Amino acid sequence: MKKTMAAALALAFGATLLGAGAVLAAGSADDMINARQAEMKANMKAMKLLVSVLKGETPYDAATVQGAVKIMQDARAEGEAQDVWNATSLTGATLKSEAKPEIWSDSAGFAPAWKKFDSAVASVASTTDEASFKAAFPALGGACKGCHEAFRAAE
Amino acid sequence: MARHAGLLATVAVLAAAGLSLAWGLSAAHPLAASDLPAHQADAANGKLLFNAAGCLSCHKPGPELTGVDASLPAGGAPFKTPVGTFYPPNLTPDPETGLGKWTDAEFVNAVQRGLSPEGEHLVPAFPYTSYARMKTEDVLDIKAYLDTLAPVASPEKAADIPAPWLLRRGVGIWKHLGFDTAQWQPDAAQSPAWNRGAYLANGAGHCNECHTPRNLFMAPDWSRQFAGGPHPGGEGKVPSLRDLIGRGKYTDAADLASAFQNGEMMGYEHMSSGGMGEVQTNLSKLPEAEVQALAEYVASLK
Repeated sequence: MKKTMAAALALAFGATLLGAGAVLAAGSADDMINARQAEMKANMKAMKLLVSVLKGETPYDAATVQGAVKIMQDARAEGEAQDVWNATSLTGATLKSEAKPEIWSDSAGFAPAWKKFDSAVASVASTTDEASFKAAFPALGGACKGCHEAFRAAE
Repeated sequence: MARHAGLLATVAVLAAAGLSLAWGLSAAHPLAASDLPAHQADAANGKLLFNAAGCLSCHKPGPELTGVDASLPAGGAPFKTPVGTFYPPNLTPDPETGLGKWTDAEFVNAVQRGLSPEGEHLVPAFPYTSYARMKTEDVLDIKAYLDTLAPVASPEKAADIPAPWLLRRGVGIWKHLGFDTAQWQPDAAQSPAWNRGAYLANGAGHCNECHTPRNLFMAPDWSRQFAGGPHPGGEGKVPSLRDLIGRGKYTDAADLASAFQNGEMMGYEHMSSGGMGEVQTNLSKLPEAEVQALAEYVASLK
């Protein structure tokens, strides 16, 4: 009986959370920030995997590289679907964000920074052996560094 | 009435005394040419220290200098601070707009004393407070390296700051509180590499300028050296450099050296934002042994 009660309570609680989530999904500022951070965290996870292959800590395997690339591509697609770089996150946010306002004031600089990332991911994706992977990787690392220098704020 | 006049006279005398004290306290004390060590300049060492000191980050060519090699410190790019915007000057040897006519003493006074050739106090956004700890020979080597660069005509632009004259005299007074001209001294109990790293971090590398918090007088709070603090740009925080290994930020000194060399190119997070990206780009140009020495020192900070 107790277990059923607990389960019912958990369900009710979960439903409330889901409801709250649905409201947030309407595109609140905090929701945007969370989604952006999720995208970047996924990229970091993939990056760590690629770097460990690059350093030889993880043996090279085309499938490992493809797996990391897929994490990045999926995160990017999800971000696009949710339109996470929309300027709505500039007003009413309660979460801390390291996104610099230049993202929105300098779209002429921000859009090409993403293009660099997209094409670097595509060229890593097209590699089939260790040598070509190692040759393609620096452009991807450079895309992370370049964009964060200009558009990511201090902690 | 007589009492009134006496009071006025006292006030006038006190005000005059205060003004002359302020004038005296804010006076410039440049080094003379005879204060410089005899030295055979080494431009290759100067290049190394130019990179360690990160000169290019601030003195890079401004946006209006189209077609100018971006690796030349032609100056003119805006450098924003909470006080206002500075346009760091041209360090190429152009005789009219750069350092072409500067003497060694003028160069050392600017870099290690914060004084212009005209004897004006420079605002410490230019980190002479750290560069003062360098060996003067190393500073002269930087000048020798700068002299080898292609001259670029890039006229100096006045800083966009309120009451510049007053600010510069104020800097003269501040120097008594926040500026120690003593050169860095090695610690005999530590390894040569640690000492080299400490010299680079505290001198040319000017890590303290952002990573050590400041006290009420805007002087570094040495009791909290490298403990991090508010970002000098006005927003966000600068991370602490203490116990980076113990806190799990890096696995060991070699990992930290790799972070200095590769930054976010190799997925080392927070190595690009807040201005660190340009620092890391400069560090990546240093010989490996120098980066390892720097990492050994920084990893040892508790």
